[in-house]
Amino acid sequence: MTTDVNTTQTAGNDAERTRTGQWFRPPVDIVERADELLLVADLPGASKESIDVDFNDGQLTIEGTVPGRYDDKMNVLLAEYGVGNFHRVFRVSEQIDSARIHAEYTNGVLTVHLPKAEAAKPRKIQVQAM
Amino acid sequence: MTLIPWKQRRPESAGQLLPASGFRTEMDRLFDSFFSDAPSVWGERGGWPSLAWQPAMDVEETDKHVLVRAEIPGVKADDLDVSIQHGALVISGEKKESEERKESGYLYQERRYGSFRREITLPTAVDEQNVKAEYKDGVLHVTLEKSQEALPKKIQVTAK
Repeated sequence: MTTDVNTTQTAGNDAERTRTGQWFRPPVDIVERADELLLVADLPGASKESIDVDFNDGQLTIEGTVPGRYDDKMNVLLAEYGVGNFHRVFRVSEQIDSARIHAEYTNGVLTVHLPKAEAAKPRKIQVQAM
Repeated sequence: MTLIPWKQRRPESAGQLLPASGFRTEMDRLFDSFFSDAPSVWGERGGWPSLAWQPAMDVEETDKHVLVRAEIPGVKADDLDVSIQHGALVISGEKKESEERKESGYLYQERRYGSFRREITLPTAVDEQNVKAEYKDGVLHVTLEKSQEALPKKIQVTAK
């Protein structure tokens, strides 16, 4: 079975959008299992409530807000990472049972389970003797 | 790694990080996919396992504290090791790839796995007995108290 997962850049493949502030593109793994696609994203510093997962017409969108962290009393010695909102869009061509999509967030990692629709699952056909 | 204070605070909205980090991610991905396609002598998954990933860190200081933050998503608090050695803060641990995922096929892989170690020279002497480390939502927060000797001392000027 061939599976085709295309990722699109931050702006998505729809109309160009303008955004204010800083946006990040979190790293993502996608794994195919027999009965589902698994999307795993590193979103350190986000909170469960701020993450938005949306599946619409074969397009999966992950979006979230991470509050800024600098406070004026601090003297910054080293700043290697930025903090801000994140956004990614994926086009998933597998037939997904959108009613059963669920997601969990633990230790800064978002896992989205995309169960395959019955029609897309591999099926073994019994050969019967006549 | 020695820390030199920033002269200027970078506003969060500067947006400078975005294109550069996106470019780096993309280059990393191209690099990884190039090496994982070739027959590998370096490891089962290809690539350069010895070039382990390193968590990004922030260090800030206030009058009394030094605050260190590291982005380490996807580890358990028990798998993180924080220590102070010769005036340096050492953070090490391992980000494990679940067996289940290893067995099924990756369609896309951008996240990094493996062990990491980072050592950061602390800007001042700290009270080694008073170090707090917390792990929340994939970010490790280490709060260190400056030792008494390192605190600024006010000297009274007396008029004669």
